[in-house]
Amino acid sequence: MASASAALNPHRYLMDDRRFVGVIFLVPALLYILLLVGLPFLLAIAFGFSDVTVGNTELNFIGFDNFVAVWENDIFRQVFGNTVMFTLVSQIFILIFANILAIIFTQEFTGKWFARFIFILPWATPVSLAAIGWLWMFDTKYSPIDYLLLQTGFLGPKGILSNSRNLYWLANPVLSQISVIFVQVWRMTPLATVILMAGLSSIPTDILDQAEVDGSRFMRTLLQVKLPLILPIMVIALLFSMITMFGDMTVVYVLTRGGPVDYTRIIGLYSFQIGIEGGNLAQGAAMALFAFPLLLALALLMLRTASRAEVR
Amino acid sequence: MSLVELQGIKKFFDDVRAVDGIELEIENGEFLVILGPSGCGKTTLMRMIAGLEKPTAGQIFIGGENVTALPPRKRGVSMVFQSYALYPHMNVFNNIAFPLKAQSREKKYDKRAIRDKVENTARLLEIDMLLDRRPRQLSGGQRQRVAIARAMVTQPAVLLLDEPLSNLDAKLRANARDELKEFQRSSNITAVFVTHDQIEAMGLGDRIVVMSHGKIQQIGTPQLIYDDPANEFVATFLGSPSMNILRSDAFSFGFRPETFLPKTLADNPENSRIFHYYVKRVEYLGSDRLLYGYVHGHDNELTLAKVPSNVRVSLDVDCDYEFAVHNSDIKFFDKRSGQRIEQQNLQGVV
Repeated sequence: MASASAALNPHRYLMDDRRFVGVIFLVPALLYILLLVGLPFLLAIAFGFSDVTVGNTELNFIGFDNFVAVWENDIFRQVFGNTVMFTLVSQIFILIFANILAIIFTQEFTGKWFARFIFILPWATPVSLAAIGWLWMFDTKYSPIDYLLLQTGFLGPKGILSNSRNLYWLANPVLSQISVIFVQVWRMTPLATVILMAGLSSIPTDILDQAEVDGSRFMRTLLQVKLPLILPIMVIALLFSMITMFGDMTVVYVLTRGGPVDYTRIIGLYSFQIGIEGGNLAQGAAMALFAFPLLLALALLMLRTASRAEVR
Repeated sequence: MSLVELQGIKKFFDDVRAVDGIELEIENGEFLVILGPSGCGKTTLMRMIAGLEKPTAGQIFIGGENVTALPPRKRGVSMVFQSYALYPHMNVFNNIAFPLKAQSREKKYDKRAIRDKVENTARLLEIDMLLDRRPRQLSGGQRQRVAIARAMVTQPAVLLLDEPLSNLDAKLRANARDELKEFQRSSNITAVFVTHDQIEAMGLGDRIVVMSHGKIQQIGTPQLIYDDPANEFVATFLGSPSMNILRSDAFSFGFRPETFLPKTLADNPENSRIFHYYVKRVEYLGSDRLLYGYVHGHDNELTLAKVPSNVRVSLDVDCDYEFAVHNSDIKFFDKRSGQRIEQQNLQGVV
């Protein structure tokens, strides 16, 4: 009897049941998305349309008042501008460096393995640790960069850049912005490089051989064959690093806390400072949501470009 | 002097001798086919002519000039790859124009000249109405024409073709073969065509180079190679089904299944060798009957016979018949080296 029923029932064990196994496999990802992404996102929307604060957790719907207030806030406008500027400028440099590095790392040379390893490190380092490292590099008094500039005569009493012994990287408005962009480019170039390398190595060798037989030299092959072919992948790399960068606050939090004045304050940081540190949850949420339509539009646009471009 | 000369060409990949000492001359206007099983080194040999691989040893001359160390663009060669390797992001016009643009500095092509050349070549290959299309909008046959147009537009000294027909379906392939041959003859270009398909090789080649294990086994016209194979490899590689090989103590001998016929059909029985043939199985192939069986005295060596269907001789399974092969159709091979040897006395062997 037992063997007869086993033969009739294809799901002898629980793990043979496709539906059960499917659910088991999906649950962790679903839980992660629902609890750690979906719920906070819905909460942010609820908070953004309410007057909730850390002191008074009662949710009262007040319409678009928070958004209007945020937009009329001059500091927020500068913060918004900073965020867009930092993101765009760093993306340009990331794309340039990632392309150059990807091309170098897809060539054959001795020590390639080691060079690749070194270049991947910034990405593998935790953001906060890396930022603290750079905090020391940009130190007001003991900056190693300043020390080198001093030794080479760029700084000091007769210095070319300044007659002071220090540049005060994180205290000078322009230099602080440059520093923040530099650190972002430094830590995000490796990921973009890896993505582009995958793209470059996915180009069929026949196509590259054909270009060579057709008489194409390095630059023509690069500009007219390789880059157009990895364009969709470049778009993906760009999308990744833009979204990461837009939402990041660690680097500025560690380096400058938004200063001097508001020169390096960005949306993620300001929203944290107003909402969590300042206790005005509703306004903090409204600020964070300001970036949302922009990012959504960006993501949709890029994904569409990526799917429309032809790889093969 | 020949248009292309290969002298002692070798190519080793680490320990693998992909190409192992090739001497070859290719004449101007010739359609030369390099035929061999996969892994025999034929594609590597072609890539060395193109300049995509550097030979480990040996020299390559094109038009009398030693091009061994020159990059592809200085060799006056062009190539059609098996995958056609069309640039997917360019339309047909730009695909064909690409080599012209790439060489425009050396050859002084202006925009106008490029347009004229592309349009003329496209017209020649009857793809002039496709110039605005992208490769993915083309059929397999059209892609192949675009690839050939791109290879021809610079008027190369040598056109290299790496199995360009193998991506076409069987029906299209026969047609494409005919067109390719016609096109080569009318344009009088020198073509080197690599394939593993003996029918393509026989149909296209003015001469065939049969390769195996990185070495040339035989060079000659299709007929010479088929009728007069230099060794056992060439004998069995060409022909479908392949040549029957039977072994005796002193040597091997072989004959093609289509020359192995019932004795009653032999034109010339007194100059033929008679075999006792046991038929194990019969396949009816429409135009032919293919017999599987054994020759008396060679019970472990499957021997095939291909008898035209229109010959009204009944041939039944599990029966013994007398079959004949004309003496001149029997080839003898050295048992150790596989090389052809002169006529032997078969007396006592069968």
